Amino acid sequence: MSNEPAVGLVVTGIGTVGADGFDFRTALGRHGYKYLPAASQYFLAAAKRALAQAGPDALEAVGPEERGAAVGTNSAAVALHHTMDRTVTATGAGDLSPVTAPYFSINLFGSRLATEHDLKGFNLTFTSPRIAGLEALQTGQRALATGRARRLLAGATEEALPEVEPGADTSEAGAVALVLEPEPAARSRGVAALGRVGVRSFFLPPKVAASAEGAERAAALLRDALDALGHRPDRPLAVTAVLDGSPVGEAMAAALDEKALGGRALAGKPEWVPAGAGALEPVARVAAALAAPEGHPHAVVTAAAEGNAAVCLVTPGAQLDELSGTEASDGGEQPMSGRRRASDR
Amino acid sequence: MDDVLVTGLGALSPLGAGTGAFWRGMHKADTAPTRVPDPLAHMDRPLMYLVPEADLPDGPEEQDGLPLGRGSRFALAAAREAVADAGLAALPGPAELPGPGGRPEAKGLDPRRVAVALSTGMGDTDLHEGWWTGEAPASGRWAPPFPLASVVGGWFGAQGVNTCVSNACAASGYALSVGADLIRSGEADVVIAGGAEAYSRVALACFNRLGAIDPERCRPFAAERRGTVFGEGAAVLVLESATHARARGARTVYGRLAGAGWSCDAYHATAPEPSGEQIERAMREALREAGAGSGAESGSGGLGFVIPHGTGTELNDVVESRVLDALTPRTPLYSVKALIGHTGGAAGAFAALAASLMLHHRTLPPNVPVGEQDPECAVQLPSGSAPMTGAYGLVNAYAFGGNNISLVFGEAAA
Repeated sequence: MSNEPAVGLVVTGIGTVGADGFDFRTALGRHGYKYLPAASQYFLAAAKRALAQAGPDALEAVGPEERGAAVGTNSAAVALHHTMDRTVTATGAGDLSPVTAPYFSINLFGSRLATEHDLKGFNLTFTSPRIAGLEALQTGQRALATGRARRLLAGATEEALPEVEPGADTSEAGAVALVLEPEPAARSRGVAALGRVGVRSFFLPPKVAASAEGAERAAALLRDALDALGHRPDRPLAVTAVLDGSPVGEAMAAALDEKALGGRALAGKPEWVPAGAGALEPVARVAAALAAPEGHPHAVVTAAAEGNAAVCLVTPGAQLDELSGTEASDGGEQPMSGRRRASDR
Repeated sequence: MDDVLVTGLGALSPLGAGTGAFWRGMHKADTAPTRVPDPLAHMDRPLMYLVPEADLPDGPEEQDGLPLGRGSRFALAAAREAVADAGLAALPGPAELPGPGGRPEAKGLDPRRVAVALSTGMGDTDLHEGWWTGEAPASGRWAPPFPLASVVGGWFGAQGVNTCVSNACAASGYALSVGADLIRSGEADVVIAGGAEAYSRVALACFNRLGAIDPERCRPFAAERRGTVFGEGAAVLVLESATHARARGARTVYGRLAGAGWSCDAYHATAPEPSGEQIERAMREALREAGAGSGAESGSGGLGFVIPHGTGTELNDVVESRVLDALTPRTPLYSVKALIGHTGGAAGAFAALAASLMLHHRTLPPNVPVGEQDPECAVQLPSGSAPMTGAYGLVNAYAFGGNNISLVFGEAAA
């Protein structure tokens, strides 16, 4: 086990895949992928692109047991389950495909990744409404901070809902994957750090959100999250908000102004993005913020009608140099708390 | 570092409603699966260990406008019991919340430091299956299939991390471990953690198609085993930092979550890696973190029991047995799955619930008879009740995709 510290994680690879025009043969190869469900193909392809950017030794620098993966999804399996259920109810379980039958289990959509890249540290799947992709980043990084691995592949994948499903008109389809590694490791490999991502998630009970003090509560929770992520109030913060029109979404939206956020300086008006029926868009926005290296620290905020909420603080690569010697030296704008490091193992 | 204590328990299971029914059922050791009451379950072996009709929660049908499936209702029922058992109460509604300058912790519990980590493999898929076969959704609102943790968080008024881990049959083991991490990292004082699983036609049909359902019952480690049999229900534990529990005078401490080990086979979608290298690594890490030692001897101060993953499937039971025989020789096993079937995403939580009760009562209940034991599964499956002699219990939970987790629970005083 390496003594290399697992704090100060940086993103060194980003892969994004959209469903439109996606061809698994082109993205992954002609053989071995045909019978994988689409969301599994998307995530594999996104991870392949992220690893290509991070470089061939991004994972191989550490052993298989020091590599972890985490994926978030809400809707990856719904269309497949719908098709399966039609088969079962019409002609019986015997007519199900034995190749796709294991995919009744939502965690299989991310499991092929572990097999392909020999990820033996952990392979987590999160399904919390809308924030599952950001949770994959959050819990994956926490797992690295506690010494359970040293490299992380994390992201989100979704497949369009069948037309009979409520919410089908706002379906998401595609995947995003990020490669994270300790900053010294990236430096020693000579690859660019694209930035840092730190996530805090929290819960705004729908009843509270719908009350007169909903926005105030949302603002308090957002302030707590940004404080915990180490964001300095005097640093201008760009904001992208992926929200819906639910009471929770509206309370969060109302909280996103400088006054409500306790005088934090916002770098312009928040960018409003309609939330879809899945966990993909918030992670896609994180990827986009990382790809704008000259930008300000960027908060991607999202919430679901069910109450789940999260903020991801993106510190683009150029900002890391600026922060060098200050916050960045002890974990960047997103400090990571951990009960033990790998050297303790 | 602060200990992570278990201060509340809740269960809804094929043994009935409540942890009392669960503990009594563990000692009665007499259960059997039944045919699922679904006329559309067109499959060879439509068998499950079901929550008894009389114990099914009578709602709610929806919460805050979200229609709820069987999984969410199960989770709510178990969470309500666990929270009450811990001596906690759902947090005040908006009208009762303190004002802007108020201190939310004035009522004893800061909602921002209460987290929820609940797991499920299929969530509320039963609700969607109903829509696919003719029932009309009540609204056009998107209904995410896995809202269980959100529903419990909304009921309780928790404002901390709220997460649903869905690592299939290891899921709630991971939820408990993530919950413990939240406490140890200082992000939460209290975590409502566990898992819930309910009948899903799709899941049961797929397991039928894979030829993995035993036609008689769930018979882990038995020579005649022919697969597993699913069970349903919910098991919820209140995890709490020792400091917080002491400060509020928690009335019961069932035990502590002393160690966890994670690993992934990275081998096959459904089959376990035959050498058991990664499940052994997870067990060793959990025992090491707990201070229970690897190669832990049974007996006073050592490992008192193991609750295995043991599903009744051919290879899983052999691989796990070999590792246990080498790592924890002669330690008695208690099989929860032989009692209530394989509860999927709730299996780790049910094992944790059983472990907590066994540590609390210092008793090993009798294993459900499963017939002649497979000679390739050289594990101890006592058929009678016995006093527990060790200070720790090991819980294993494995899943499709090669996801493995081991947890070690230890004795703890209030």
